[in-house]
Amino acid sequence: MAMPKQSRGALLFLLTVILLIALGPWIAPYPATEFHSRHILEGPGTTYLLGTDEFGRDVLSRILWGARPTLLLALASAGLGVLLGTPTGLIAGYFGGRLDEILMRVMDVLMSFPALILAMLIVVMMGPNPVNVVLAIGVVFWPRSARLVRSVSQDLARREFIEAAKARGEAHVFILGRELLPNVLSILVVDFTLRVAAAILLTASLSYLGVGVVPPTPAWGLMVRDGQQFLQNAPWLVLFPCLAIALVSVGTVLVGDYLRRRVAVPGGERIA
Amino acid sequence: MTQPLLDIAGLAVSYGTTNRRVPAVRNVSFAIAPGEAYGLIGESGSGKTTIAFAVMGHLNGGRVDAGRILFRDRDILALSPQELASLRGRSIAMVYQDPLSSLNPTLRVGEQVAEGIRHHRGLSHRAAAAEAASLLDQVHLPDPARLMLRYPHELSGGQQQRVVIAMALACRPQLLIMDEPTTGLDVTTEAVILDLVAELRSALGVAILFISHNLGVVRRVCDRIGVLYAGELMEEGRTEKVLQRPRHPYTRSLLRSIPEIGRRSERLASIAGSLPDLTSLPSGCIFHPRCPEARDICASAAPPVEEVEPGHISRCHFARDLPDALAEDTASASMKDLPEGRKPLLRVVDLEMHYVRSRRFGPFGRTIRVPALSGVGIEVAAGETLAIVGESGSGKSTLARCIVGLAAPTGGSIEFEGTPLTATRPRATRRDIQIIFQNPEAALNPFHTVAEIIARPLRLYGLREGPAIRQRVIELLDAVKLGERFSTHYPRELSGGEKQRVSIARAFAAEPRLVICDEPTSALDISVQAALLNELKELQRRYGTSYLFISHDLSVVRHIAERVAVMYLGLILETGPTAEVFQPPHHPYTEALISAVPTVSPVDRGPVLRLQGSVPDPANPPAGCVFHTRCPRKLGRVCETDAPPWRHTSAGRAYACHIPPEDLLALQQQPTTETDRPLPEMEEPHER
Repeated sequence: MAMPKQSRGALLFLLTVILLIALGPWIAPYPATEFHSRHILEGPGTTYLLGTDEFGRDVLSRILWGARPTLLLALASAGLGVLLGTPTGLIAGYFGGRLDEILMRVMDVLMSFPALILAMLIVVMMGPNPVNVVLAIGVVFWPRSARLVRSVSQDLARREFIEAAKARGEAHVFILGRELLPNVLSILVVDFTLRVAAAILLTASLSYLGVGVVPPTPAWGLMVRDGQQFLQNAPWLVLFPCLAIALVSVGTVLVGDYLRRRVAVPGGERIA
Repeated sequence: MTQPLLDIAGLAVSYGTTNRRVPAVRNVSFAIAPGEAYGLIGESGSGKTTIAFAVMGHLNGGRVDAGRILFRDRDILALSPQELASLRGRSIAMVYQDPLSSLNPTLRVGEQVAEGIRHHRGLSHRAAAAEAASLLDQVHLPDPARLMLRYPHELSGGQQQRVVIAMALACRPQLLIMDEPTTGLDVTTEAVILDLVAELRSALGVAILFISHNLGVVRRVCDRIGVLYAGELMEEGRTEKVLQRPRHPYTRSLLRSIPEIGRRSERLASIAGSLPDLTSLPSGCIFHPRCPEARDICASAAPPVEEVEPGHISRCHFARDLPDALAEDTASASMKDLPEGRKPLLRVVDLEMHYVRSRRFGPFGRTIRVPALSGVGIEVAAGETLAIVGESGSGKSTLARCIVGLAAPTGGSIEFEGTPLTATRPRATRRDIQIIFQNPEAALNPFHTVAEIIARPLRLYGLREGPAIRQRVIELLDAVKLGERFSTHYPRELSGGEKQRVSIARAFAAEPRLVICDEPTSALDISVQAALLNELKELQRRYGTSYLFISHDLSVVRHIAERVAVMYLGLILETGPTAEVFQPPHHPYTEALISAVPTVSPVDRGPVLRLQGSVPDPANPPAGCVFHTRCPRKLGRVCETDAPPWRHTSAGRAYACHIPPEDLLALQQQPTTETDRPLPEMEEPHER
């Protein structure tokens, strides 16, 4: 059967992103931090495809160089969030009762902080380096992932195949890992991809507030922040990094959708 | 014939994409006269619901390829969306299988019923509310005024279905389409709903298209029936003609697969194989691969539509040659005698179990105990089948959960071969008691293959190792008539019956001594049910396993069990050998259960007995005899105050009732003096 168009698009996109991360610096026409002092704030043209910034740096090159830190950071922090949230949610939903109550109240406390404030707090406390940014955003995502997984596993835990496993005398670890986990996988994938998009924006916000990745690293969020003051005269400084963020966000959602269909219930070719 | 109300001719509907069309319905023609009830019979996947949706004009993703559907001479397929919407509201109404899915959970019952009336008939709020109340009264819901203020989830399944029927009647339709309206309900509730449908029909003169897989249900309601197989109409005629002199082998097979209370044979006739793949239909007669009468011509030539007598048609080459009587599959064998003094394998003594339900009023928490089992005692001998019968809410599933160790009883004891069992028990003991669940859709993990599912108990209990595992899985698959080719399938790729077979194979993989079957066939078609029951019996014969068979369907119980215990509100009301329990004198509750079972046999089984109301709230069980609120044979005050004594009528047979056996026998053998008119459902018992 031919692959649906949408899936082909998603795979193509995934490939592009991987290439960007791997090869960005090599395909960029200029070094990210090279000043071209005679071409300050130049609009998009033939020499500088996407224009230059206030120091005469090539915007296209900066976006290409910036893909790596931006995307790696986003992927890592989204992954950490899902990695923390999944077991928490599975355990809370499966065991229920007091354990569920305790875990969820802890999650509620984390949730009660606005995402940005919590992330800032952690980064400021632990020092602004990429590892801590990942850690901070991971912690921000933790309760959100946990809640999602819990709601699904709560419903699944009442299903008869789980009852059957309990009646057989299976160990809890087996039930959690082999019976429940595969059933929440498709939700995890969607959750993860949505979180990647959110993480890009959150890292950008952190950088914008000056506690994330620091200049002159060409992170996309930083570019948006720095470019903002020239919005009137040089909108391309904000426009193109924003476009890059938007493209990646939409793209990850597409990839997520594709993956979700791949890990959905097997044998699921439904008629009508 | 008068001008038909609905006239379907040459209807063909298909689903799918342009590359792969699935012809779900092909060349179906039938007509329904005004005020007539027409039954459409078929297994799941036969296309009966598709036809209903085509008539309603909303085929989800389906396409009408040919034919026409005339409703009062207007072609439904040619109507504009606006005309269709008005037709659906005013002239055609539909009642679906699951009442809860057609009710909005956030709207009070009264508002929902009134909303339709306001919308379609343009009445004022007040007039619509009054009309709604009278409709709810018409479907015999008690105290409509108060009921209108309740939300759907506060009603019982039977009451919900009544509300849905009331909504369907709201705009005085001329045609009512009912799609398996009683399938999810208890037998007793089903019986009352069917009575109601018959009554409404004669009172309102509404025509009914009644869709079901159960011939017994259709017999009660319909004048004529059409039998659908894989999207084609195989036989059509007046109900009694089709049921008594079926002229198509498929109808005959369907009839023989029904377990009848009055007929006990060792094996139920089942229909070999399953519905054909609609994308590659068999040549000639589409039924020939499964037909017991098939001959050479059946595979090569499509049979013509034969009119065997006026109004009775059959699509079979040999419609006229089929014998009149339904051949019994095998001579009925006598029941196995229970050897005296057999040691019980399982002994349950005075088992009690209550759930704690919390009620929160603001900051003040209050918990109430809801008893599910109030002192249940049963014994199961090795190799024996004990059936537990009761309506939903009787506690029979809780009993099962306690025995397999999924719930911890709050009192009493469970002994297995003399050793007491608790909810926390060693794996070796768990191996001895396995369970088969009711819902095959939920009992299998959708992410595990059939082989993984069946191999799991082998690995868990260390019964086989290495390549022997695979071998044993194949053995088990063969034992449940699935075969090796299913081992790589995922549950989603299986039909309901096939899934249940995998469940059975998984249970038997553990080599258990006792298997608890919790309504294993209630979610399946009758023809599949017959095959499964036969296989369960065969497995029992082969392995000497005991069954605790839980069911609400007495006809199934009659077929499979040696002994029966009848449960109501957490108590056992009657127990005894199966054959005897079906003979009077029996407990009034048993009597009502037997009376409610739909049957295809034309002989009446005696007085019609219907239970009033629904099972009382278990949180406040009635004092005295728990059954007195619904008992048709209630004596008087003594039933309300004193717990009934156990009365022993013969060896191993006993029931709990204030009425002594002699009186009960006299009452129950009385010929019916009342008319067959159904009793309206009311809060207070009617009779006696």
